[in-house]
Amino acid sequence: MKNVTAFVFGFNNYATEIIDNIIEEYQQVYLFSLDKSDTQYKENTISYFNLDDEWEEIEKLMNTDNTIAFCTLEDDATNIFLTISLRASFENLVIVSLAKDKESANKLEIAGANKVIPIVKTTADIISNMMNRPIATKVLHNILYEESDLKIAQISVQNAERFHGEFPADIDWSRYHGIIVLSIIHEDMSKEFIYSSQTKHKALVDGDILVVTGYETDILAFEKTIGRRHYVDWGNWSW
Amino acid sequence: MNRIKRFIVDSAYTVQTAKGYQKRKRFFYNLLENSESRYKKYFDIVMITLIFVSIAILIREVKHELPFHLIFFNSYVISIIFFIEYLLRFWVYGSVTQAIIKRYEYDTYLGRKFKLHKAFRNIIRFKLVYIFSVRAIIDLLAVLPFFHELRLLRVFILFRIFKLFRYTRSFQTMASVLATKKFEFFTLAMFASVVVFVSSILIYVMEANNTSSPINSLYEAFYWSIVTISTVGYGDMVPLSDEGRFVAMLVIIAGISVLAFTTSLFVSAFTEKLDEIREVKTIEGISKINKFYIICGYQEVAREVALALLKKHKHLIILDEDEKRVQTAHEDGFIALNYNPGSVESYEKLHVDINTQVETILCLMNDDVENVYTALTVRSINKEIPMLSLLINESNRKKLQYAGINEIIYPQELVGMIVKELVGRPVAFEAIHELRSDNSHINIHEIVISKRVLENYGLVSELENQRYRLVLLGIYKNRYKNFYFNPLDDTLLEEGDYVLMIGNRVFLQEFERHLNKKNET
Repeated sequence: MKNVTAFVFGFNNYATEIIDNIIEEYQQVYLFSLDKSDTQYKENTISYFNLDDEWEEIEKLMNTDNTIAFCTLEDDATNIFLTISLRASFENLVIVSLAKDKESANKLEIAGANKVIPIVKTTADIISNMMNRPIATKVLHNILYEESDLKIAQISVQNAERFHGEFPADIDWSRYHGIIVLSIIHEDMSKEFIYSSQTKHKALVDGDILVVTGYETDILAFEKTIGRRHYVDWGNWSW
Repeated sequence: MNRIKRFIVDSAYTVQTAKGYQKRKRFFYNLLENSESRYKKYFDIVMITLIFVSIAILIREVKHELPFHLIFFNSYVISIIFFIEYLLRFWVYGSVTQAIIKRYEYDTYLGRKFKLHKAFRNIIRFKLVYIFSVRAIIDLLAVLPFFHELRLLRVFILFRIFKLFRYTRSFQTMASVLATKKFEFFTLAMFASVVVFVSSILIYVMEANNTSSPINSLYEAFYWSIVTISTVGYGDMVPLSDEGRFVAMLVIIAGISVLAFTTSLFVSAFTEKLDEIREVKTIEGISKINKFYIICGYQEVAREVALALLKKHKHLIILDEDEKRVQTAHEDGFIALNYNPGSVESYEKLHVDINTQVETILCLMNDDVENVYTALTVRSINKEIPMLSLLINESNRKKLQYAGINEIIYPQELVGMIVKELVGRPVAFEAIHELRSDNSHINIHEIVISKRVLENYGLVSELENQRYRLVLLGIYKNRYKNFYFNPLDDTLLEEGDYVLMIGNRVFLQEFERHLNKKNET
């Protein structure tokens, strides 16, 4: 089930980049700003919000099970306050917050954010990875961010019986349309690398999710063979 | 031009362009004079050892009969080594051939007749500069104990101690620091001399006629003055008359002043030069690092990058104009210089070969203007060096590209892409994120196919990665600059290729060892 509604709090470059990247994934995307003058700047697309309000307006727009909120306010303290305000009002809302540093990231986690993106750390990690493992970084970046023909997908296993009880680590995955299986997520959401010791002793069952990488056409063919594209149920998803 | 002149000029050109000769001369120059040369350190250690051996023999010889071989070693072997060193230094000091060529080309350019004698005059002049330099004189005197039979000359062995100045950098640093206070020290010396001179005469006049006074001659008066003004005061000579004691009081007061003034001069000289000395030491250290990154600016992202690179045992240098940030970098354990990254002078002062020593220059300041300026500065001195920059405002992307930045990192764009993956394919995102993270036990390694590896592994199937529970993601073919995903078993491996392996960190290390282990057998 795809997500329905996204709230983006804060009107800045981060917010606009986020909106540009998620606009196709959501049926409705709402942008909120703490600054009233922003609403005049883009009247129809930006709404004003106040940290003291009771979120009645927002509640009306919200489908709690399928709504995600992005807290991107520039001031970390205000962003933390926003996150805790949302969590206090909406227990099941998925909240993704941006933090400048690790200290704020920890506070945001305590405040109830499901996922925190520490901007400085993330940027620095990308740069240091580029320096340490330039080829691997470039390849993974291309796979993940779709700049190449290579893709990564998560496929839910639907007909596990076709593997005849074979263990995942023993299966020659290359015979399945030239894809590479990186890891398996079991029904209990535990993750295993394809060659971990557990995958040598635990056969695939329906409902397991395979994280695969390969060319788009191969992935589609693989998907038809063993299952279907898996979409995350945000209500159950834990980070 | 007569035949002799022609012959000399031709010979000068021949020698000047002879690779073997120039190579040898450069080698000896680096060995003797270039403090950045890796061999100089070992040469200096050998010479210092010889000096100490020589001094030890001299001391032993005072009260003991020494075996002949030790005397021979001290008088001849060490002396000859020192003399060869002296000659080599004389040789590498300036270039005779270059002086001749320079003069010849100068005269030719002006349409004059070549004046060989002027060339020789220049040569003699700069060689004399060497001969009469303090260091060269000490070097020569240190050779004199060679004439061991002349017992008087044996005292010159002490000059070998002075040679230590040449090999011990701290002495040179101290001398250069004190040289900055030349005027103050001169003034102090003049003051002390006047006090000693006046007090010597006064004490002589006051005490010499007193038969019970120990000060009976001008020499003794001078000795007493020196002992008193230096505040040593042995007490072997004391003034007995009231007048003499009054003079003593004045000299003691003057002595305390001289001592205090001298101490303060030393302290201020060192305090003023301390940063400079540290900087020189730092730059010397930098020039010896084979490969390092230059990080321009030390703000939030730069600090995180630096810490991450440090974890991977990478060398890096930080340049920042802001003194506080440089201080922070020092506290974090980095080599940091208070240099402006946007100034050509900063890179010149580093004394490094950017092409061979610098891996990448990272412009990580929180200001696009500064990053563009730094990029242009670097590009003005080097067109090839890879550069990465932070982009703060999307509208400046093209400016950074025009400035010659190879890789641009725009944090907002990164966040956008991450969010897209997070909401679209969270499981896949986490999987890739884990591969990139250093904290995860599953990792991705890029393993280079070296010539040694290639000798035993020519095909992908021969790598046996599955035995090590590793996934071969693909091969990066350096020759084609292309990545080949999930290669077939019969794909040929070539030197310079990179294989991207995914697996447990321990198995990855084991696999790399396996590649080399098989080579050894």
